[in-house]
Order: sequence, then C-alpha cells, then structure tokens
Amino acid sequence: MKTDFKHRIKQAVEDDALRTALSKATTTLRSKRLSALESLPDSDLTRKQARSAKQEVLNNFAYYAESFEQRLLDHGVTVCWAENAESANQHILEIAQRHQVKTVVKSKSMATEETNLNEALEQAKLKVVETDLGEYIVQLAKDRPSHIILPIVHMSRQRVGEVMHDTLGLPYTDDPAELCKHARTKLRSEFLAADMGISGANFGVAETGGICLVTNEGNARLCTSLPRVHVVLMGIEKIVPTMQDLDQVLKVLARSATGQKISTYTTLIHGAAKDGAVGPEHMYVILLDNGRSTLFDSPHADVLACIRCGACLNVCPIYKNIGGHAYGDVYPGPIGSVVTPYIRKQGHWKQLAHACTLCEACHEACPVRIDLPKMLLQLRANNQREEASFIDEMKFKMFANLASCPVLYKFATKCFRSFMNIFHADTWLRKSIFVPKQWTKHRDFKTPASQSFQDWWRERSKDV
Amino acid sequence: MTKPVHTVQLFHTCLVNELFPEVGMSVVKVLEHLGVVVKVPTAQTCCGQPALNAGYPDEAKKVARQTIILLSQSSEPIIIPSGSCASMIVNQYAELFKDDAELLPVIEKLTARCYEFSQFLVDVLGITDLNAELKQKIVYHPSCHMLRGLSLDKEPRQLLASIKGLEVTNIPDSEECCGFGGAFAVKHDEISEKMMTNKLTQLTATDASAVVSCDMGCLLHLGGGLQRTNSNMQVQHLAQIIETALL
Amino acid sequence: MSESRERILNRLLDSQVTATVSPVKQLVPQDPVPSALSADECLACFCKELDALEVDYYIEDSVDDLKQRLQTFIAAKSLLAWDQKYLPYGIADCLENENCCYDDADMAIQSQAEVGVTGCDFAIAETGSIALLSAKGKPASASLLPFTHVAVLRRADLVYSLGEMFAVKQDEIKNCSHLNIITGPSKTADIEMVLTVGAHGPGKLIVIIGP
Repeated sequence: MKTDFKHRIKQAVEDDALRTALSKATTTLRSKRLSALESLPDSDLTRKQARSAKQEVLNNFAYYAESFEQRLLDHGVTVCWAENAESANQHILEIAQRHQVKTVVKSKSMATEETNLNEALEQAKLKVVETDLGEYIVQLAKDRPSHIILPIVHMSRQRVGEVMHDTLGLPYTDDPAELCKHARTKLRSEFLAADMGISGANFGVAETGGICLVTNEGNARLCTSLPRVHVVLMGIEKIVPTMQDLDQVLKVLARSATGQKISTYTTLIHGAAKDGAVGPEHMYVILLDNGRSTLFDSPHADVLACIRCGACLNVCPIYKNIGGHAYGDVYPGPIGSVVTPYIRKQGHWKQLAHACTLCEACHEACPVRIDLPKMLLQLRANNQREEASFIDEMKFKMFANLASCPVLYKFATKCFRSFMNIFHADTWLRKSIFVPKQWTKHRDFKTPASQSFQDWWRERSKDV
Repeated sequence: MTKPVHTVQLFHTCLVNELFPEVGMSVVKVLEHLGVVVKVPTAQTCCGQPALNAGYPDEAKKVARQTIILLSQSSEPIIIPSGSCASMIVNQYAELFKDDAELLPVIEKLTARCYEFSQFLVDVLGITDLNAELKQKIVYHPSCHMLRGLSLDKEPRQLLASIKGLEVTNIPDSEECCGFGGAFAVKHDEISEKMMTNKLTQLTATDASAVVSCDMGCLLHLGGGLQRTNSNMQVQHLAQIIETALL
Repeated sequence: MSESRERILNRLLDSQVTATVSPVKQLVPQDPVPSALSADECLACFCKELDALEVDYYIEDSVDDLKQRLQTFIAAKSLLAWDQKYLPYGIADCLENENCCYDDADMAIQSQAEVGVTGCDFAIAETGSIALLSAKGKPASASLLPFTHVAVLRRADLVYSLGEMFAVKQDEIKNCSHLNIITGPSKTADIEMVLTVGAHGPGKLIVIIGP
C-alpha cells in the first residue's frame, strides 16, 4: 500500500501537463478566495460564526441529528439511517425498486463517491447518469474526480473533446463552450426521462428540516425537481442548527470554494412537492455514518466541521504538485489525509499524513479554521506506532537519548564532526554515505563546520 | 534616562551549532552591537521538533523536557534565531505536555519570554532603524513557521527595509512552502524537489544576490539546491545580512 | 433500518461524553442586524451586483414602461410562465397573445419554451440574487428550463441580506418545497477553468425592476 502511494506520487510529479493545470487552477482559486473574503465586513467574525454553527452540532450531535430527522418526517420525507457504504447503497436500491426506477440522474455528491453508489446501481441494471459537467465527463471517461470542486482539473480540453467524441460520437471539438453546449443538449433529455434524482446535501437545517444545495450549473435543480423520486445521501455531519447558521456557513462556502459571494443556485428543499405543485412525489433522505461516528470518537472530531469548500486543496503545495488521484481515494489533500483513515477504516491510509510539510497553509485557508496540521501530526504518531520499521524507531529512540543528555550529545556530535572533517569541512557535498540519497539526489548537503558555534563561543569567552 | 540593558539567553539551535555556526556568530555580534548582553546555556541540545514531526511525540517530549529544564534555569529572555524552533517551543510544548500539571506552568512562564531573533529586535528592543547600510539586492523568503506559525512577517521586513541601499525584492507566491518540511525532504523527496525547483526558479529570476530567511531548515534546503545548480545566489540568515550592514 | 438508527445515535451519545470537540466560541446572532441602507441605496447595491454578474436589468418607474420592456423579450417567443395570479404588475396581460404554457403543461412542452417569465418572491441586494419559492402555479421549471429567464421584481421585495430574508420569511420558506436563490446565469468552469455560461440552467437572466 505504501508503495502504491509512492508510485502514484512518482507518476504525478513527472506529469508536467497535470502540474501545469493544477498550478493554474489553484493559483486562480487562491486569489479569488482572498478577494471574495474581503467583500465581507468582518471575514474573521463570519468564519468564527460559521465554525460555531458547526461546532454547536458537534457539541450536541445526537440531539441535532434527531431534531433534523423529526423535521424531515414532518415534511413527509422518509428518513433512512446508513451505518456504512453498503447499507446506504442498499437503501437506495430498495427505493429504486419500490418506485420501479429505471433511470437515475445524479448531481455531484462526494458522499455517493464514498459509497461507490454508481457501481451498485449499475450492477442492479439501472441506468445512472452523472449530470454535473465535470462528473459527466469523468463518468464517460471511466475516470475518477480529482478535486472536491473541480472534478476534471486534471483533464485538458483536448482530452475532454476526445472523450466526448469517442463516447458520444459527436464531432471533435476542444472549445469549452461547444463542449458544454453538447453536454447541455445530451443531458437535458436525460433529465426529462429520469425516474429518480439523487443528490447530496451541502447542509441540512435542523430547525426546519431543510436540505441545502449549493451549485452553479443548474443540474442539481434539474435532478431534484424533475424526476418523480428525489433521494438525498447526506453525511450526518452536514447538519447546522438554524437558518441563521445556514446563512453564516453559506457566506464562507462559495467565497472559499470559487471566490463567489454566493453560488449561482442556492436551493433549499423542504420535502417533496406540496399541494399539487409540480415536482418530486416522493423524497428520501439517507443519513450516512460510514466512519463519521468513529471520527467523532477520535481526537480528530473537529474535522467534522468541514464544509467541503476545497480551500485547503487550493493552498496545499503538495496537492498542487501531485493532484487528487495520487491520494488514492475520494477526498484528496489535507482534508482527505485526515478523514480517509476513518472512512476506509484502514490504518495504512495514515501514511497520507506524511505527505505534508506542516506549512499551515490549509489551517489558515480553512473557512472554519480546522487545525488540520495538528491532526496530521497526530495521525503520523498513530501511524508510526502501528507501522514504523525497527530501524526508524531505533533512530529516534537514539536521537531522544542523545539529545536529552547534553554530555552524550556533545560527545556524539563532536565525534561525528571530527570524523566528517577528515574528509570535508565547511563546504557543501554532492553526496556522502552519511547523507540519505533522497537528499543528495536533488540537493547538496552542508558538511558539519570544523568549529561549532559552541566551540567558537567557548574560545571567545576565554579571550574576554 | 539610560536605556535598559538587556541580558538574554541564546538558544542557538542544533542546525546553527553544527552546520551554520556563522549564523550564530552574526546573531551574537548584532545583539551585542545593539547593547544586549548575550549568554549561551552550553548544555542545550535540540528543541525536539525532528522527532515530533516524524511521528515520535514521546521521544520529542524526552528531548523537550531537557530543553525546558535548562532554559528555565534563568529568567531572562530567550532568543531563538529560527522560526521553526521558536514555533516548536512557543506553540507545541504546551500541547505536548498538556497532561503534565507540573510542567505546564513552567512552560507557560518559559514561552512568555521566548523570542524569535527579529521579533526581539523589533518588538522588545523597539528597533525601527538599524542605522546600517548595504548596497545589495536580496530576496526575502518568509518561512512557514515565521509567517503562519508565529505570525512574524512585518518584523524581519521592517529590519530589512531600514538598511539603507538594500533592495528587497519579492517573488509571486512568496508565502508558499519551499518544500523542506524536515523529514519530508527525504521521505517524499520527489515532491520536495519539485517544490524546491519551483521556489528556486522564482528566486533566481529576481537576480538577487542572496535569499534571506529566518529559518535555517529552509536555507539548508534551498542552499543545497542552489549549490547543486552552481548558482551564484547565496543563502543568508537575517542576522548575517544585518551584521554585514552594521559592521 | 431502525436498528441502524439506534446504533448510530447511541454511538454519538456515548462518544459525546468523552469527545474531544472544541466548545462553541462565537454565538451566531439569531436576529440579524437590519441594514442601515435606504431603499434607494439598497437598489443601487443590487444593481451594482447585477452588473458584476453580467445580468441585464432594467429599472422601470411605471407599469406601462415595465410592460413595454417585458414585451421586447417575449414577443414571438415560446414562453413558460408563472400563473397570472403570481405575476406582479398585471403582466399576465402581456402573455395573453403569446405562445405561453404553464405548469400544467407536459414537461416535454415546458422544456421547449425559449423564455421563462416569473415574478420574484424577494431579492437580495448584497449578492444580486433573486429568490423564488415554488408552488402550484409557480413552477421551478420556469426559472430553470428555458435558455432565457425574465424575472419581474417588485421594488418593495428587495431586502439587503440573505440573513434578513431568512428572518422575515422563515415560515414561508419552510412551508414551500423548493426555495431557489438565483444569482446570475447558470455557469461552469469545469473545463480548464474557462467560464462558460448556460451549463444546464438559463444562460441569460434578465431582471426587470418595477416601481
């Protein structure tokens, strides 16, 4: 598994086209986020309030989950609880069966990626169509999204043109406007023919039972208003207490994700169509656990305050150089490195936490100021406890023993310095058996000085 | 009214002691020039950060404990010419020992008198003008620990700006990490190399003669990269530039 | 099904006792401070946002002017509209001679409409948004299916912020199945960050602000 990660990283860093695309996208989104935050009278206060809205739920988790469920039931929504991915998919399959669903249209939902829903639906012989433009291309290309907000940031327009030409038989074009127009036409007929629409939820409002969707294209509106059945797959941590809390998180979500004050379509759904209005006849909300309650029980519970804006990805210098696929699972970047070990319940995912320089850019960018670096550091410690090699452990035990005993430390460093100085002193080395080759492959290394600072200080103090 | 005489303890850091002693020398000379009496607790070893960052908090605590006890033997301000070591002491020690009721108050007292080098000059000594001159073009690299760990950016920049004749250039995305990250530089060397190359391309494009920073980790990494490409660009700690300008 | 529910809730309850969650630090005010802007300032702010969003807007000071303006967008076009009882300023008159369908039409017919004509339940100046509540006679499809959406807004329905709107309209919102807050035309930047307008929803939004 460790080698898989290293292998994916190696492929990614050697892909110049990928890195150029990532650099362009993340640089643009970074500056847009900063400008958008300036449009708030007090962005710091708004961020604190957004965090408090999420934190309030985490401080009374079961209470808000139950309140939210009750308000949903009041609206005639059927609520299901899914402990894991299989259970979530099973619920959705049962709903599809109950309503004789043949075709499903989906709007972008990371939760459905988590549960691998499309595969489950296709195995049950349902037709599933992703309708977010990026996700649609990903589906046609049999690929996976690589960014929370920009699923095809890793694809060039030429590649998108090829995919649409090869899979849909359309004349080749690499003009984004033309490609978008093709997708619009093709998908419009899918929306009109679909029996069921599946969406995620950006937020759920406990006070009113509302499901909030934040989008730009209009496909989520189409998915949730045209088909006769609407299913929402929603992580339990997406709940906020009240409408005013929703306002606070909305203020920072679009600003942090795309640099907009608000997304093109902010939709708030309260139940299926009422009183003869046109719209879905049935609405279901599946509340998904899938590792969230385990996360809640861990030192990293605060990560459940995440509002899925992707800002941490856009400032992460590692993400910028390796992209989303290298991380190997649904959520990439700093946020992915913390949540994936819990969602996948497998310790080896903790190695993602080492692909980080602890630069704190993610902590600074996060609209709800989740201390991701602190969590990554703790995951590293957990990872070492479970998987460290004997040599590695011994190295650090030796370091600790030496550095906590000044006499030994001075002796050891003096010996090493004297030994090294036989060969080199006060210079930079191209390579040395004493320096890891992973360092000297790319950089020279400074040799120990012939006179340490303390040597100089001691001499100087004698002179005085 | 006579100016108060400051006496300080210098926590020189392991990188300075072993690899860049000239930086420590510059720190001492600059402080003494500014009327500060410098003492060096010679039993110092390391702040423990390498172990913590590699995922060995118990080992880090063992080393940190020694450092806390040593530095608590005096009550004078402690000067640390490294953003990352200062950040370790000021930000991480309390967290590491959060369950140690005995040591926590000691740590609190200690961190209250710990200062990164530029922070001490600007915020304690109140230096606004170094009365120094140096005709040189340099580029300043704000390390992650300085910028985001300690929120120290205006301090080093103010000191540099006060040096007459010194041209301080900036690069785009200057706040982005250089790719050192301690063990990361070895553990994920392929990513570290890309980050370093990115940074060096931007730095060398400025035609500055030196890149100046307050973190030796960054300078070890960037310096190694510059050496590898036989570049003329030097790496310098802030204290070295100030010393050259003053003396 | 309910066993899963019990297990999940019990896990949350058990963990709550020992969970390392940070406390709530900053209370979210439940009554937002109403804006100090006058109605004219609010309107100016709204229009500035619409400009930035590249939404065409027209401020008409008389109903006749408003109707004339509307005609320019709907003449000889196939329309999908809100029911007349929900359209402001009696603009339903303008639709009488036009090829216009409503929410009782087959979806296939609705989706052929070139222009959607709606009112607005309210609008938000701070972000340049219009807000539409769906109901029988006020289909969400009218602001979604056609490529052009013309929204007629009563000046008095403009508020400054979303928070204010939520405070004033909470009951209405939670009793309606779909609230759509629309800010500009449908767009995407999925392909190489190139902004394209008219992804799935209307590519053209026109707002006519009446007296």
